[in-house]
Amino acid sequence: MKPSKACQRYRSIRRNTSQHYFYQESLLLSNLDDSFNADETGESNDPEQIFQNIQFQKDLMANIRCRPWTMGQKLGALRRAKEIVLKFEGRLTRTRGYQAAGAELWRKFVRLACNFMVIFIPWEMRIKKIESHFGSGVASYFIFLRWLFGINIVLTIMTGAFIVIPELIAGQPFGSTASKTIPKEHVMSAQDLDTVWSLGGYLQYSVLFYGYYGRERRIGRAGYRLPLAYFLVGMAVFAYSFIILLKKMAKNSRNSLASVSNENYTFCWRVFCAWDYLIGNPEAAESKTAAIVNSIREAILEEQEKKKSKNLAVTICLRVVANILVLLSLAGSIYLIYFVVDRSQKLEQSKKELTLWEKNEVSVVVSLVTMLAPSAFDLIAALEMYHPRTTLRFQLARVLVLYLGNLYSLIIALLDKVNSMSTEEAATKNNTSHWIDSTIFFATRTASEEEKWSTPGPGTGLLRNSTWAPEETSVPAYTLPLSEANKTTVYTQRPQDQCWETYVGQEMLKLSIIDMLFTVASILLIDFFRGLFVRYLSDYWCWDLESKFPEYGEFKIAENVLHLVYNQGMIWMGAFFSPCLPAFNVLKLIGLMYLRSWAVLTCNVPHQQVFRASRSNNFYLAMLLFMLFLCMLPTIFAIVRYKPSLNCGPFSGQEKMYDIVSETIEKDFPAWFGSVVGYVSSPVVILPAVLLLFMLIYYLQSIARSLKLSNQQLRMQIQNARSEDKKKVAQMVEARIQTQEESSMRLPKDSDLSSQLSWAQSVAPQSNGTVVNLDSSSSKRGRGETAAQRTPPSPQPGLGSPSSPLPGTSKSRLEQNANRCLRGRSTSAGDRHENRSCSPGMRMKHAEVVHSEPLFRRDFQQIDPPLRGPGLSVVVPRGPRSCAPRYYIINERDSRQIPHPTFWPERHFRMDALGDMVEMCPRTRRQGVSWAPQQGHSPQLSEEEENAPRRELVQWSLHPQSLRGLQGAPHFYVGDRSESQTLVPEHQRRMMHFKSWDDGFEAPLDRPVCGHKKPRSRNFQSAQHPPKLRGKPKVEPSLSESDSVSAASSSDQQNGSNDQSLQVAPSPAKFRSSVGQLGRRKAIHRQELVADLNDLICSNV
Amino acid sequence: MGNKQTVFTHEQLETYQDNPFRQRIAQVFSEDGDGHMTLDNFLDMFSVMSEMAPRDLKAYYAFKIYDFNNDGYICAWDLEQTVTKLTRGELSAEEVSLVCEKVLDEADGDHDGRLSLEDFQNMILRAPDFLSTFHIRI
Repeated sequence: MKPSKACQRYRSIRRNTSQHYFYQESLLLSNLDDSFNADETGESNDPEQIFQNIQFQKDLMANIRCRPWTMGQKLGALRRAKEIVLKFEGRLTRTRGYQAAGAELWRKFVRLACNFMVIFIPWEMRIKKIESHFGSGVASYFIFLRWLFGINIVLTIMTGAFIVIPELIAGQPFGSTASKTIPKEHVMSAQDLDTVWSLGGYLQYSVLFYGYYGRERRIGRAGYRLPLAYFLVGMAVFAYSFIILLKKMAKNSRNSLASVSNENYTFCWRVFCAWDYLIGNPEAAESKTAAIVNSIREAILEEQEKKKSKNLAVTICLRVVANILVLLSLAGSIYLIYFVVDRSQKLEQSKKELTLWEKNEVSVVVSLVTMLAPSAFDLIAALEMYHPRTTLRFQLARVLVLYLGNLYSLIIALLDKVNSMSTEEAATKNNTSHWIDSTIFFATRTASEEEKWSTPGPGTGLLRNSTWAPEETSVPAYTLPLSEANKTTVYTQRPQDQCWETYVGQEMLKLSIIDMLFTVASILLIDFFRGLFVRYLSDYWCWDLESKFPEYGEFKIAENVLHLVYNQGMIWMGAFFSPCLPAFNVLKLIGLMYLRSWAVLTCNVPHQQVFRASRSNNFYLAMLLFMLFLCMLPTIFAIVRYKPSLNCGPFSGQEKMYDIVSETIEKDFPAWFGSVVGYVSSPVVILPAVLLLFMLIYYLQSIARSLKLSNQQLRMQIQNARSEDKKKVAQMVEARIQTQEESSMRLPKDSDLSSQLSWAQSVAPQSNGTVVNLDSSSSKRGRGETAAQRTPPSPQPGLGSPSSPLPGTSKSRLEQNANRCLRGRSTSAGDRHENRSCSPGMRMKHAEVVHSEPLFRRDFQQIDPPLRGPGLSVVVPRGPRSCAPRYYIINERDSRQIPHPTFWPERHFRMDALGDMVEMCPRTRRQGVSWAPQQGHSPQLSEEEENAPRRELVQWSLHPQSLRGLQGAPHFYVGDRSESQTLVPEHQRRMMHFKSWDDGFEAPLDRPVCGHKKPRSRNFQSAQHPPKLRGKPKVEPSLSESDSVSAASSSDQQNGSNDQSLQVAPSPAKFRSSVGQLGRRKAIHRQELVADLNDLICSNV
Repeated sequence: MGNKQTVFTHEQLETYQDNPFRQRIAQVFSEDGDGHMTLDNFLDMFSVMSEMAPRDLKAYYAFKIYDFNNDGYICAWDLEQTVTKLTRGELSAEEVSLVCEKVLDEADGDHDGRLSLEDFQNMILRAPDFLSTFHIRI
């Protein structure tokens, strides 16, 4: 049980370590080994083990997507894992099996549902289409739009469900009260186009605006507290927006590792990340190429400019001028807006009838400024001669400031108006106080009107008119309730006109509408008609329209995104005063989505400049957050600062809007609650709370700083470790080169060669019986054979004894002998098919292996394409196959050369596991490979030698497991019938084993090895586990043979450039020989041939 | 088993011709490295290039794509190839070599004159838009 304990411990260690994906992956194959092992031993009924095994398999199934395997490998592994899980879970408990089945069903269902749900993701296909045409930058705009759309939907639901619908259902119906009725003399004009256009008439007295909502504290039978709901929802809109924005930002920043500012891979990113793989449109590809060339050139220029100093005077002057211009235009636009608002007030007071233009000039001017100023900034930016990226940033900042300035000047002007409105209101109130019935609210209103109209004096009238002006035009008539009707004889106007909230809401909605119209117009004009013009008149024009002046419209991502942000800012600003604004915005965004996507696809070309904005970029969101904050300010300010209108809206009659909360608390909650709230809101609690918050912020910030620091240090450490590692490897390689040179003289005489050769043979049989490398000379072969024949009798003792400690070199020698013996056996098994009765069976088995490992084979095909000729195809899969395992071994050995199992080598193992060794095998390592045979003699590596025998044994003893891991267990049993048979597969196993071992150190450690085959393997196991864990880096001796094989096949082993031939050469040779042998043995081994053919069918057809 | 081997004809590649690395992609994902794919290879390709694929997997295959000579390292020659393909040969030789030099300068963590997979991953996983651009739609 010792091994199992060890394995458990190891697993726990593994669990505790961070589940790095490479690492997980590295565990996988070993994991399979484990399971098969358990399966095979059968008697290991330890439920804990089985449970862990199942957990492994489940892990594997969950993460199979993350593994860099080929599809076939994945499928195979998945299938296997499923089988195991099913089997063992069935063994543990029956219910568990049912659970698993249920989970499986559920998973399938979820998957189906997910696929189904995709249909309902709005505009998914549209966005993907755009993405595939224009790249991810443009698509990010649409994704952002969609996201905003989602937010607006939620906002709409919030306002709709809690404000609008209750008001519609339970509130007093239209016309029942003064604030819900169109004034009498305006009924006639209520349906005029310009009234509707300026959102007057029926629209003004609808749920669209604040003024319509009743002031009753409770409405309906259920007693819904509408005013409270109104206030709370108004606040919740902001709260929700903040939360969702911050959440999204946090998620994004978690996703992107780009936070480290000091790591700057300018050129790398420009080269490796520049191409947008989504681009599938030639034009987009062209412009992308141009953009990449530009960006690379820029980077080069920058790099060069870093070195040389330049004359800055002119540029500085220009920049100063440009900034002054920008500031001027900003100030101009702000002044313009303020002026227009002011003028509209004056106009309204001086004229009774306003033209359409005069009514809408505010919004039109704002939209015009919004549209034109960015272009002006663009022109100005050309003066500055900044780097394009800097230019873009400046541009964005300026546009953002402009938008904000616009919104702010607008809202300030509006609030100014509100201010004067309320003062006026107060004045009229005072004036009318002497009138008859001041207690009745409406009476005072009408009274004030009457007085106003009865006093025609220019002085007072002017003043009043100036404040009341907007309402005069837009919201005049008012039908009086009966009680007041007799009193107010003459024109009774605008009792509820003082509804400044409605006014603000109207303005915001108007602005939003006009902004939408301007957007549509600009899309049509600037993009569509320009595109038409350029496209169809290009042939008849004196210059090339497409490439010279007008060109096609570019899709300016940054500005469009800013526009969206601005638009959303308007919504936030106005949502409190016009609850339906989010709903309107939803419609607007839908329209915008369709129009924009259409315009982009039909008449835009992608932006030339590279604008790095992607989903994982917080840039848009940061702007949006900024906007949200700034838009919230004026609204909050208005709510806090101004008194709600007296005769309209849910808060009429209160001092402040938020009084509704305290009022509710006082009246509708128990007394203790009120007192608690009182305490909580007292400075005694608030001040410490604020202090606490500050402390918390400071604390978190300092933690973040220290984390950043430690992050940096860790990175440094990693880098250091890596470079040290490399140095050590280099030193080692050098040392080996030296020893190699020394021993190369001795080499031919050395008996190692024979073992090497036998190894070569052993490789060959596994692929196709007794094939020997043609590259190796016949004499060598003979020697190898003799060695093989000499050795067979004594493998067992040789293998049995190694656990006993022996002095360094002699031990390694012995161990090598043992190796040789074993190998010899295997070769002989391969070589002397005729003599062995069971060999066909073995071959069958082999074929099965091939069957079960199609992917393996594929990898080899990759190695030597020349073999794929039609006539020779019969043997193709085999030749390469025999080659590839060797490859693994080579790599294996390489990785072990690195004595310190830092994370660096691990990664290489990972690569190895992929099977694409050819690509992965580094040159230096290959060189190292060639030195391997001498390792036994090299003095520097004595410690390795000491470890070597044991390791060797481990290896041998473990083969079956690994084989199992890679092939179906049943096959294994077939092969295990006799010793001679098992030995041959063993090689295979070994190779696969290496592969699996690469993947995880723990693979071989745990389970008892297949029992019936070799009892001795068990004996060793316990002793061997620890060294294996630690001493991973070495299996060199065994590997050296493989190395020498390749050495034999290639003329110059030390030449790095020969790497490819190193692998390719042996396989054709083998192939040829195998053909010959096949021919010879066809009659005998028909079975095998059949298997082969099966193989081929699978692989090549 | 028994997957039909699909040869990507030139015409088929035409539809995806805008990607400068199309050949490399096909080679990397085909089993024999010559751009001929079986269905499994094809699935491999799209599972890697899909949006769902994990970052490390993408980085790994990106490395393979940029490793033109399949030696497990992105050396200067690979970089030259990459840059030339990327810019469609619009940069002069000096510019290309300068860029390669700079790239190696920036990302070569162990100063061995070429980019290993770790160097590459270290670099590319920090790139802000690698994830969003390294996928393909059909």
